[in-house]
Amino acid sequence: MRLRRPERLSWVGLTLLGLQIAVIAFVVVGSVLTIAEGLFSFSAWRDLFIFGIAQGSIYALIALGYTLVYGILFMINFAHGEVFMTGAFTAWFVGVALADSGILVDSPLIGVGLVLLVSMFTSMIVAVLLERIAYRPLRGAPRLVPLITAIGASLVLQYSVRGMYGAGVRAYPWGTVADLNGRVEILGVPILRSQLIVVVSAIVLMFALYWLVEKTRTGRAMRAVSEDKEVAALMGIDVDAVIMRTFAIGGLLAGAAAILYTFIFNQVAFSMGFLPGIKAFTAAVLGGIGNIVGAMLGGLVLGVLESVGPQLFLTGYGVPATNQLRDVIAFVMLVLVLIFRPYGLLGKKA
Amino acid sequence: MEGQPATLARYLRRAVVLGVVAGLAAIYLVIVGIVPAFELRPLITGVLGLGLTVPVVAILVIAYHAGRTPNTWPAPTGGPLHRVVPPIVTGLIAGVGLGGLIVIEELFSPRDILPKLTPQTTNIIGLGFEYPFGPLAIIGLCTSLGVLAAILHVLEARARRALVIAVATVLTFGLVEPLLRVMLLQLGRSDLAAFLYQAGRHGLTPIAALTVFILVLLIGLVWQYRGERVRRRYERLPSARRTSVRYGSFALVGLILLVLPAIIGSFLSETIGTVGLYLLMGLGLNIVVGYAGLLDLGYVAFFAVGAYATALLTSPVSSLSWEMNFWIALPLVMVVAAITGIAIGAPVLRLRGDYLAIVTLGFGEIVRILLLSDWLRPWFGGAQGILSIPPPELLGIRFFGPQQLYYPILIAVILGAGVSWSLANSRVGRAWNAMREDEDVAEATGINTTRYKLLAFSTGAVFGCLAGAFFSIKIGSVFPHRLDLLVSITVLSLIILGGMGSIRGVIVGAFVLVGLPELLREFGEYRLLIYGAVLVSMMLVRPEGLLPSATRQRELHDEETDESQYLTQAETAIGGPGISGQPA
Repeated sequence: MRLRRPERLSWVGLTLLGLQIAVIAFVVVGSVLTIAEGLFSFSAWRDLFIFGIAQGSIYALIALGYTLVYGILFMINFAHGEVFMTGAFTAWFVGVALADSGILVDSPLIGVGLVLLVSMFTSMIVAVLLERIAYRPLRGAPRLVPLITAIGASLVLQYSVRGMYGAGVRAYPWGTVADLNGRVEILGVPILRSQLIVVVSAIVLMFALYWLVEKTRTGRAMRAVSEDKEVAALMGIDVDAVIMRTFAIGGLLAGAAAILYTFIFNQVAFSMGFLPGIKAFTAAVLGGIGNIVGAMLGGLVLGVLESVGPQLFLTGYGVPATNQLRDVIAFVMLVLVLIFRPYGLLGKKA
Repeated sequence: MEGQPATLARYLRRAVVLGVVAGLAAIYLVIVGIVPAFELRPLITGVLGLGLTVPVVAILVIAYHAGRTPNTWPAPTGGPLHRVVPPIVTGLIAGVGLGGLIVIEELFSPRDILPKLTPQTTNIIGLGFEYPFGPLAIIGLCTSLGVLAAILHVLEARARRALVIAVATVLTFGLVEPLLRVMLLQLGRSDLAAFLYQAGRHGLTPIAALTVFILVLLIGLVWQYRGERVRRRYERLPSARRTSVRYGSFALVGLILLVLPAIIGSFLSETIGTVGLYLLMGLGLNIVVGYAGLLDLGYVAFFAVGAYATALLTSPVSSLSWEMNFWIALPLVMVVAAITGIAIGAPVLRLRGDYLAIVTLGFGEIVRILLLSDWLRPWFGGAQGILSIPPPELLGIRFFGPQQLYYPILIAVILGAGVSWSLANSRVGRAWNAMREDEDVAEATGINTTRYKLLAFSTGAVFGCLAGAFFSIKIGSVFPHRLDLLVSITVLSLIILGGMGSIRGVIVGAFVLVGLPELLREFGEYRLLIYGAVLVSMMLVRPEGLLPSATRQRELHDEETDESQYLTQAETAIGGPGISGQPA
């Protein structure tokens, strides 16, 4: 919340304050009404919460790509959602081939690992090419120019895939892999196995990234470039190479997130990158863009809110079909975060 | 690299790289399906289809580029070889790429991974020859494209321009065949139509293509070599005569616009109406983005508000069921629009440019999902929307069907362009300009940025809502499925193609990016791919757009020279030394 006294109480400030109060009142009253009604059992809330954590950790992985790029170039890589999509889409061919040849059933670890590697590699290549072709020539251009380019690149990627493979939805053959189905009990709580795998893999990847950024030479170079490009160049850092590596890392994470996404939602389509992309961007801003821990936190918060929110905030008002409004929750979060806390939960006010 | 002499070897290395780029671009166009889909549209009957033309033009442009000396290179040494050989090398390599694609299809037929690479497709790029000769044919074609590019380099600039214009005219005549044919028939010139276009088949007849080419080439040559005289004679005319010439041409354009629906018939009037709506939205977004520099990615929200407000007020089956007359509802819709503009604009006033873009995108999506939801169904009708919006009536005339609705849309567009033009040249426009260039400086010079931002948002909103209102009466119903982000992207693409801040640019952008795809259904699936490519390539190559406004052109290109000239002149005027030679 903003407790700082505004310098002058303009009517714009008043509107914002009013809006803030209205939103909080709406959410609180809605939650109280919903809980008072008691339509949902405890286990229903718990399942929604766990689902939220699982999808939130996917958002977090994608959000890391936004945050890394923003931290270094101060640009929103609007096409990052499409980097995510190309990974999942390309790996689908490998997944189907492996399923047909029986490898996926016989040795699931190798099969799933291969699919994961292909997805990560593809996303990495796409991210690096994107940087090289579309963004590098525009270094130093006004801020809106690379954003418009990124929107264009996002359209080109989406509709190239659609042009090649059509608009149909394709299902991943995960149904045949026993280890991805069913439930496991942890501390007496039954959890879908796929969701558990998603959360654990996401945590492993996030630790790997944290280690990379904090402990390795590349990570140090990345931090130096994000601090000051010119000074970093004077210190003998190849800035272009570091930027390229940053895009590559973001792509690797997006490619991994794409396969985790298919564990939960089990399908790919040319348009699948748009919504996760926007939501992950929201998560990155929510956590404080440019902040790696923030992106992880933001992803989890957004995932849970999106999963629990529609039922919790809206059922109390008697809103029908609250699931239709899931994406509204995400977009409203996006708008509210950008308006009221553009520096994020963990970021400092500039 | 920069210091190296520009030897032929250096040009050749660059030509090889460009050749690989051209080859990859051409291969991409094939495997993404653009070539086979566009080939269904012949440009010259039985000779050339649009599908093959796209990679051919791309290779030609890149090959021509291979013969140019980049700005950063020193002046070339030696004879004209560096302009002639590289284009041929580039063309040859691109041809080898396409030929290789045919071979791959023949040997492996990778239909699972590349579904668009079919024998029909390879038949197109193989120019219709059977397998071992198809690749050779395309390599030959691409090499001759390289030779053509080399010839263009050797030609004198004026002759080159005339030649390029002639080729472009022939292709355009083939492309707009559905429009031209109908117009000629309606004008009673069926003889001319029969000469240009064969009955029952698309595209120019070969003989007509040749005639058009030669005619335009001759006219072009005459104009390029003698046109200067005509222009000078026009400038020497007394100003009164010049004004009358200008008014005469205005009157002619006005007359054509008035009788257009009668000439082009119902289907094409529908197309022109759609172009008009996008033109109106383009003018509105141009105010927000081009003048005030606020990138709004949720412009469709205003369009949706306009359409739904009109539907609610006029439709007998809407939840309000007020059944207002459209012309009474219209001012109300505009008031609603202005309020919406302020309501959306006020919370985002303090945001930086890129965050503003994303927030507005969020607003657009929220509006769409809410309109679609069951929650607000009692008011907005959910996925079905609101039906049976009556056609508007004025003084006993019912505006029903595209040929009549053309007129109110035309009037709205003309009014919109007028308002937009006078705003640009007013105090408000200058304030927007200042704000766009530097918000802090603008604020410091006493511009109330809050007020001017809100003004930009609400003016843009009025334009968008107006377009929405006409859209709703045009199709007689509103539903949320067509009100998505892609509308905003379309409008953004058309103002970026034409040039941000330029009214002429918006007009050209709307006709090219909305009119052409409406005319040629083959574009359908690839429309957004093309918009994306337009956005990327314009930002990379020509950020000021095709027809930039005069100020924007200066800002982006001649800034330094203007400034130094100005300084030198000022120094000379006060008798001091020139600025040059002094340390900065």
